[in-house]
Amino acid sequence: MAIAIGIDVGSGVIKTALFRVDGDSAEWLARWDARIRQRDSFQLVEESLAYVLEKAGLARENVDYVATTGEGESFQGATGHFYSMTTHARGALHLNPEARAVLDIGALHGRAVLIDEKGKVLNYRMTSQCASGSGQFLENISRYLGIAQDEIGALSMKSTNPEKVSSICAVLAETDVINMVSRSIPPSDILRGIHESMAERLIKLLKSIDVKQGVVMMTGGLALDAGLVSAIQDGMEKQKMATRVATHPDSLFAGAIGAALWGAFRHRKLKALGRLPKAS
Amino acid sequence: MEARTVKEIVAFCQGLFDDLDFTRAREWKAAVPGRKVIGYMPVYVPREIIHAAGMLPLGILGGGADMEVIHGDAYYQSYICRIPRSTVELAVTGRLDFVDGMLFPSICDVIRNLSGIWRILFKEKYVRYFDAPQNFREDVGGVFYSNELREFREGLEKLAGRRIADAEINASIEVYNENRLWVNRVYDFRADFPWKAPSAEVYLLMRAGMVLPPEEHTLLMREYLSAAGAQDRPMRDNCRVVLTGVFCEQPPLNLIKSLEISGCYIVDDDFLLVCRWLLEDVQADGDPIENLSRAFLLHSAQTAAKYEADMEVKGRYLIDAIRRRRADGVIFAAPSFCDPALLDQPMMISRLDALKIPYITMQYAENSGQMQPIREQSGTFADSIKLWSSS
Repeated sequence: MAIAIGIDVGSGVIKTALFRVDGDSAEWLARWDARIRQRDSFQLVEESLAYVLEKAGLARENVDYVATTGEGESFQGATGHFYSMTTHARGALHLNPEARAVLDIGALHGRAVLIDEKGKVLNYRMTSQCASGSGQFLENISRYLGIAQDEIGALSMKSTNPEKVSSICAVLAETDVINMVSRSIPPSDILRGIHESMAERLIKLLKSIDVKQGVVMMTGGLALDAGLVSAIQDGMEKQKMATRVATHPDSLFAGAIGAALWGAFRHRKLKALGRLPKAS
Repeated sequence: MEARTVKEIVAFCQGLFDDLDFTRAREWKAAVPGRKVIGYMPVYVPREIIHAAGMLPLGILGGGADMEVIHGDAYYQSYICRIPRSTVELAVTGRLDFVDGMLFPSICDVIRNLSGIWRILFKEKYVRYFDAPQNFREDVGGVFYSNELREFREGLEKLAGRRIADAEINASIEVYNENRLWVNRVYDFRADFPWKAPSAEVYLLMRAGMVLPPEEHTLLMREYLSAAGAQDRPMRDNCRVVLTGVFCEQPPLNLIKSLEISGCYIVDDDFLLVCRWLLEDVQADGDPIENLSRAFLLHSAQTAAKYEADMEVKGRYLIDAIRRRRADGVIFAAPSFCDPALLDQPMMISRLDALKIPYITMQYAENSGQMQPIREQSGTFADSIKLWSSS
């Protein structure tokens, strides 16, 4: 049995998950998430640790492995760090055992990962430095439209006549959107147009790593955007791909879940090898 | 005097590393009239002879990550590595004006050409292209190398205006034997406790040895080992790697830090090989030239900088290092356009493939600034070792 904590330090949000892992059984005991909003990331990480430990009724010394992922590699309190594609792969598989590919879309990047049935990363590719496939881009658009972020998905689903936007560049796309607003295009059609443009980029990313069939699990903050999920599914159908997109209410936590589960795995492995990390 | 902490020692080394005016070496020279400083480039020169002449051997390893190269680019084509450009930049901007002579070891054509450029630019300085044998038979390469060492000794004698006695060279051989002993102890300590001796610290400690007199560098290493051994630091679940290919142009310090932050403890490397080139003590009595020559021929590190005719033997040094240091894999990091490192790599990789030892390859320049792709590459490499290998 191992107690493991996974901490996913994203560009916009920190997610923390505490698990008790016993053989093949993994029990999720506590979770925490918060937007960073220009605060000190590692101070927030400490806060999250205190919160999940209290919630699970555990003390720090009860924890066998603290695993960071995302941008948490410099956190001094970690036992080890895993990279985002590794943890999102494992987290996606935990949330949906049928997943054979992952689309992780966070605040600044989109990432496609091809995985096997054990969660091993077979291939991956990220969006380039352009922000037009990311959550930050959508956040900016929602600000221009004067709507709350959690309204985006539902509004997009109401669209009847999606307005096409530039799929190349966030700056051009934002200019497009400002023009659309001045032309009185309804927000639902603007949002659907943006979702379709993002979906087009993300499907290209999936194809570039040879994802041809099976479940594509969405993780990261935008996995909860029903409008984007629907646009990706429609895009796949249009392109006659034998893939199905899936999401989960806990998709936001996929990185933290993966980090915790890999941490527990490493604890078991290191224990067997007699090489458990400890303070010098 | 109170012993310095690790932080203080590292800050001292960082200060030497950052100082492209080589203030410490200038001060050493100015302290006694008539003192001379001899610069040398990677990979190996017999510093014992320079030391015996009463001169300071000064390692010149390019301009580092932050120096802007303006004049240096005019001397080399765009497909040449960065170290010769930044070294020319150091010189033409007056940062090496106190250096009385320069040695250019036979590492590659680019450095050989640099020795020619130096002769043209600095006619009044002592300049030597330091040729090393690629034939390791004592009756062929040995004779050639001994003659090379004698010529070098005579050159320094002319510069010093006095003879360099055998006894003086033997005394310097002892100084450098002691220095290598402590260099190896630092490397052994890091391999045993990589979380207590991060590679960026060890690197800075070795870089200090490029500027300080060897006796002072030895004391510094002893002080560091004592302080690092006593300091508590958390051990991380990192994989263990050997870093190779970094023997000439140096990567930015941030690259070394990034590799460790991303989850790779560096447990051996080929940085600053001049400190570890000779694998055994050099005999410190008898004919010092013959002893230095034999040490080079028979007991020197087998790296990309040294020709190995026997393909059965090629790569054995790296594989021995992997085993001795209990490394999980290898990171081949080569400077862009580095012929010795990049030509060696396929031969090394074929040996690792045969033994199923994991590795990754990457390239850098001394001024590489974007570390995110490097961290991602080395981090996923660490993940693959931790999750999918037997380690």
